[in-house]
Amino acid sequence: MEIAYFLGCIMNNRYPGVEKATRKLFEALDIELKDMEGASCCPAPGVFGSFDEETWATIAARNLTLAEDMGADIMTECNGCFGSLFECNHMLKEDEAKKAKINENLAEIGREFKGTINVKHFAQILRDDVGYEKLASLIEKPLDLNVAVHYGCHFLKPTKTIGIEDQAENPSILDDLVEITGAKSVDYKDKMMCCGAGGGLRARDLDVTTSFTKEKLEHMTEAGVDAIVNVCPFCHMQFDQGQTEVNERYGTDFALPVFHLAQLYGLAMGLSAEELTFDAQKIDATPAIKKALGE
Amino acid sequence: MIIRGVFSMSIINRLKSLFKGDNEKEEADISNDVSNTSNDVEVTSSQKVEETIASEVKTEEDSPKDLTFKKDIDPVEDSSEEIVEEAEAVEEEVPEEVEAPAEAEPVEEAPEEVETVEEEVPEEIEAPEDEDETTEDVVEEVEEDSNNNDKERDTMTLLTDKELLNDSNRDPDFTAEFIDAGIETVKHCFQCGTCSGSCPSGRRTPYKVRQIVRKCLLGLKEEVISDDALWMCTTCYTCQERCLRSVKIVEIIKKARNIAAHAGYMAKPHKMTGVYVMNTGHAVPINDAAKALRTKIGLPEVPPTTHAYPEALEEVQKLCKITAFDELIGYDEATGGLKE
Repeated sequence: MEIAYFLGCIMNNRYPGVEKATRKLFEALDIELKDMEGASCCPAPGVFGSFDEETWATIAARNLTLAEDMGADIMTECNGCFGSLFECNHMLKEDEAKKAKINENLAEIGREFKGTINVKHFAQILRDDVGYEKLASLIEKPLDLNVAVHYGCHFLKPTKTIGIEDQAENPSILDDLVEITGAKSVDYKDKMMCCGAGGGLRARDLDVTTSFTKEKLEHMTEAGVDAIVNVCPFCHMQFDQGQTEVNERYGTDFALPVFHLAQLYGLAMGLSAEELTFDAQKIDATPAIKKALGE
Repeated sequence: MIIRGVFSMSIINRLKSLFKGDNEKEEADISNDVSNTSNDVEVTSSQKVEETIASEVKTEEDSPKDLTFKKDIDPVEDSSEEIVEEAEAVEEEVPEEVEAPAEAEPVEEAPEEVETVEEEVPEEIEAPEDEDETTEDVVEEVEEDSNNNDKERDTMTLLTDKELLNDSNRDPDFTAEFIDAGIETVKHCFQCGTCSGSCPSGRRTPYKVRQIVRKCLLGLKEEVISDDALWMCTTCYTCQERCLRSVKIVEIIKKARNIAAHAGYMAKPHKMTGVYVMNTGHAVPINDAAKALRTKIGLPEVPPTTHAYPEALEEVQKLCKITAFDELIGYDEATGGLKE
């Protein structure tokens, strides 16, 4: 099996440990991750999609054509990238007029959107293409960790077009994937709420964004978890860097380390904290990692 | 020109006449009902009217003194736009409820209040029940009535001519942009408010998603695109997931933002995100710290994206020029920043 690996921006340019863990995991799964050479920003759905739909769709479609040339489905580990690429792929497959318009633009750089591939989320591939049993066989020592799963928004919604889960209010995919590692997914209040970063809000109004994040952190902390697990580098950044911004603004002392799901699997497969670039994250993950590994 | 506010007042008037009593309180309550919605997006005006009527009738059966109203009569200011919109909601929805008060015969027996009312507005008590034949008369009466009583009833002064929604406020082309973009579902909204009730942003900002959807349908272009609150949505899709009418709410918000951005309402940090993509192909470009981290863990120093392929970056830049994105954000090619 071959997959076109879409990196995006934040993961590879801020949290490369996520990329490292993913490459390691797929190596173990014997799935080839092929680089999409020359891929750009997805571009961000809530930002570029909010400015000019045509530009958003044109840049996204260019990325899609890279995978079409490779003849492989795309995998992304970012909800924002997934939102943009999935939505654009879906839109252009369904809407001939928009497809014609976007292809007019792409023709200027010698490209054409054909609609021959699918866009998949990392977690979706783990569930549907790899399977829970095979994943479980990779776990050498189960992790002892209570985590708050954060689904984010553009991973499952809108459910009517994405269809990874039937309905987005009570999903199970990430909880299942977390528990395969031995960690326990702890329920908490307003679990499905947004982290606050999306839609261009983080860039535009950090006060409002941190207000969202604070609410989520309160509910996670009340549930007594050791760490947050997400599947979106932008949510990841918001919970990591954003957590320090919350503490600065509100005088709080939240200290929940943040794991991308790939990092959780990397830890369960024996990668070190340095290899997972936890040392570059704002919130110290050392206590959680020690607990997880029973040290 | 339909003067919606006045029309809604005719309904208020009709309700009054149907009651044949408690004129002042009824009117104040309904107008307050309209104005109350300024700070809180809700759609329940007709329901509230009905409930209030019911409670009033009940109370009056028990006792002529109606304390239940008092708490509702706090005047609410600063609500010009919302009132017009809500007034229309009243217009649309109240007629369904008219039958209920018509059966409320016990009101006639409310002794003290009927007397008071009859002194003040005797002609309204005789207003015929068949409202269709007398709409114009009623409207005139209401206009006169409201002019005479402006000072006495502060809440009613919120419905002045300059605040009324009429065709000159509306831009049908604005509404058409949503339809043309394939978001026909904007027309399906029945203003239930599930979206606003579900909205995490609406709990902490002035962002009122239900109201924006309504304004987009009404064609209130300037009100929608000039409002900073339009940008308080994180596109979390909770509203759209829960929408009973399957309205593509997030699409509506993004379309409205597109129109706003093209009209010049675009924040500098957002333009800068565009600048980063124009310059590097990435909204969050690589930096020295990330290069060092990547090298340390055995990844290529620079990822195999536009960062590593200059010709790919040129493609992205060319596409941004074809769609005039560079002009939209005011990109200055000479400096690689924004034009002043």
